[in-house]
Amino acid sequence: MAKVPRNFRLLEELEKGEKGIGDGSCSYGLEDGDDIMMSNWNGTIIGPGHTVHENRIYSLKITCGEDYPDRPPTVQFLSRVNLPFVSSTDGRVDTARLPVLANWNRNSSLETVLVEIRKEMATLTNRKLPQPPEGSMF
Amino acid sequence: MWCRCTVFESIGDCCGTRQSGIDSADKAPHPISVLASSPASSPSLLLRTPHGSSQGKSTAFYTLLSRPGLITILAFLIGLAHNQVADPAPGITAAPHDDNLRYFDVTIQGPDGSPFQQGIFKLELFLPEEYPMAPPKVRFLTKIYHPNIDKLGRICLDILKDKWSPALQIRTVLLSVQALLSAPNPDDPLAPDVAKHYKENEKDAQRVSREWTQQYASE
Repeated sequence: MAKVPRNFRLLEELEKGEKGIGDGSCSYGLEDGDDIMMSNWNGTIIGPGHTVHENRIYSLKITCGEDYPDRPPTVQFLSRVNLPFVSSTDGRVDTARLPVLANWNRNSSLETVLVEIRKEMATLTNRKLPQPPEGSMF
Repeated sequence: MWCRCTVFESIGDCCGTRQSGIDSADKAPHPISVLASSPASSPSLLLRTPHGSSQGKSTAFYTLLSRPGLITILAFLIGLAHNQVADPAPGITAAPHDDNLRYFDVTIQGPDGSPFQQGIFKLELFLPEEYPMAPPKVRFLTKIYHPNIDKLGRICLDILKDKWSPALQIRTVLLSVQALLSAPNPDDPLAPDVAKHYKENEKDAQRVSREWTQQYASE
């Protein structure tokens, strides 16, 4: 089977992200349109309804290393959030504690990372966790 | 017989990409004719099923897609692509990655007489799963100021999109990319700001192209 190299895979993801994914509750794009290696990305998650996150807009920074997509990206919340897999000091997502990153495979993508994080916000335990003031940043 | 050469010749003439560089390159021994003269890799191999029965014309390729010989055929096609790029053309190099034979590191020398003259531009090329029914994917890795190449190195070239034909060779594709450097087309832009510059003040735009070539594409 043809193994799509990193850069062409990221170009595909970029084009998909530019068209818009799903219902618009998650989105992503290049941090810098000049970044020919496409390493640094911005992600946005709109908090799921009927949870403490409802109507909140969360910004994230996603970094795709040289081994992407064989290895997962690193993910960091820029907006303050209280979730068990997010560091309360700098917003870094603990790869081992988020299944989509821990069980990463080549079918996973920037989109699945954001969508899975949003699903985590809506789980029974996470949906009621007390949150920092809306709009505060790390 | 399914001959890529003749189809290529007719396509090469009709899509307007024929340049003096291509003409002179065609005088070199054709990769296909080299292949054909070698008994081990006779093109007739392409037209046989795993059971050895002969198939007719290019429809044989579609038939074979559903047969166990598919892997062999794909290996053959990728091998063919490698033969084509082993010595693609003057001013062009292409080397496959050790760990991914569909992925090539490419360099293209800026054509003489263009603002990209003396530049060595790095590109990457990938033969996707659907190749040769789908075009190769090609991208500049070196920054370049050109109306048909965007900030991420993506190239606006018809044969890489809707004008792709399975009969086109990798070397033809790379020669066409090189030819695009000599013939920017600001009326079909991928980088709107560069195209605007080229249309409003071509001399000044070429100056910027030369500066970028010196800054990013010199070794």
